[in-house]
Amino acid sequence: MQIKTASALSTGLHVLVLAWATLSFSSKPFETTPAESLPVDVISEKDFSQLTKGVKDVPKPKPVETPKPIVEKKAEEPPKPIDEIKPLIDEKKEVAPAKEAKQEPPPPVEKPKPAEKPPEPVKPLAEAAQPQPLPPKKPPIPKPPQKQPEFNPDKIAALLDKRDPTRRAVTGAEVNSQPALGTASGAAAQLSQSEIDALKNRLYQLWSPPAGAQDAGKVQIEIRIKFKRDGTLASPPQVLTSGSGPIFNAMRDSAVRAVMVGQPYTMLRPENYEKWQEIDFAFDSSRMYSDIPVRRQ
Amino acid sequence: MNPADVAQSVLPLTSSDLSLFTLFWHAHWVVKFVMTGLMVCSVWVWAIAIDKIVMYSRSNKSMDRFETAFWSGQSLEELYRSLSSKPNHSMAALFVAAMREWKRSFEGSPQKSFAGLQMRIDKVMQVTIAREIERLERRLLVLATVGSAGPFVGLFGTVWGIMTSFQSIAASKNTSLAVVAPGIAEALFATAIGLVAAIPATIFYNKFAGEVNKQAQRLEGFADEFSAILSRQIDERG
Repeated sequence: MQIKTASALSTGLHVLVLAWATLSFSSKPFETTPAESLPVDVISEKDFSQLTKGVKDVPKPKPVETPKPIVEKKAEEPPKPIDEIKPLIDEKKEVAPAKEAKQEPPPPVEKPKPAEKPPEPVKPLAEAAQPQPLPPKKPPIPKPPQKQPEFNPDKIAALLDKRDPTRRAVTGAEVNSQPALGTASGAAAQLSQSEIDALKNRLYQLWSPPAGAQDAGKVQIEIRIKFKRDGTLASPPQVLTSGSGPIFNAMRDSAVRAVMVGQPYTMLRPENYEKWQEIDFAFDSSRMYSDIPVRRQ
Repeated sequence: MNPADVAQSVLPLTSSDLSLFTLFWHAHWVVKFVMTGLMVCSVWVWAIAIDKIVMYSRSNKSMDRFETAFWSGQSLEELYRSLSSKPNHSMAALFVAAMREWKRSFEGSPQKSFAGLQMRIDKVMQVTIAREIERLERRLLVLATVGSAGPFVGLFGTVWGIMTSFQSIAASKNTSLAVVAPGIAEALFATAIGLVAAIPATIFYNKFAGEVNKQAQRLEGFADEFSAILSRQIDERG
């Protein structure tokens, strides 16, 4: 066999293999089935650890709002007809005597008829004026029942409510018959984070621990502060941490001084005075500006 | 190399089309040259392999046939006459060479010189064996060379291709996989071709070297036996 035929054979074989490789090796882009995206809420640690006490499934506040307009209407509408009608009567009453006074002098002289006629239209007015409470009341009273007939089953409770319609709705910052959103076991203070931070900042700014405190390591001094509603101290700060030694004493005294100097604490809102009337605050020498929890007693 | 050229030459590859042809076509010319060379080597290796396989199997068969004919008791003169025109395999060539030398010593000159005839026949047969082995071993060195150098040549192409792809990263100022991957794929393609050429070359070289060794020993054996026969003849006549 000649080498030429072998070469031809080999070339043909290579062409075949290459053709096969070109057809089969054509790369396909990786297909990735897109995973369904899950909505993720980023919750900070505080959202978990400082849960407010409440019920998990709070009905939406809408039912509270819908009865309100009914109450408002009931309270406002009845006085309206009385107010509108009364001045009308008063005006007419004033006008009627004036007309009588003006028209009476001329009739006896020239015209008896016009003198008679004016009293006719005046009569009902005069009658109305004399028994003030009775006759004019009839037209205004039927009015409110005319507006009510549209019967709304959702408002049965409001319609059956026999309480004073003018009473104020039970909504407000402090007293609330509606349950608040929260967990059954939550016990965190409802002081807002900004208030806590502001208080912490203020106290740490004023606190100047003695120079040797850094060497003493981690010393924590917990102080119970009792506030009055205006943010001043109700009583001298009470040191809860017990200890001894010159460094501890110096630190304790400096912490008490800081609390005393800092008043009044205007960053605390009087609306939620119940939450901050007594606060245990921990001064920590090792973590001057770190996150120290403020606990409500 | 101009970075703009690099970017231009490499960026088209960022498309997802990575077939073998585009891999080759977008490569740097050095890599192209390496790939082409390796491809030619592969073709040549397989050509040699096919040629040698056919040649060795034929040679083995004809040697078998010759040996049966040789030991069948047939007259050596007749055998020589039938083969002398064209010895088509190594053993026949060996036989013809030895017989020719024998005949020349007996028939050519009137005074028969037996002195040194044995040595001459041995010499002729050694030369013929060497020539036949050289024929059998021809082109086997190509296989050995491709087998040992192919991977290195492919590696050179790979290194060059990766250098180019790094240049393209620098040019496009982007390290995303879409920019890097085509260059590396193209570079690895060179190594792949180098291995494709070298692996069969090494395997065939080892196989053929063993085959040549076997046939050479067979020839040596035949030469010794034939030399013994001729030596007996010389002693009988002399």
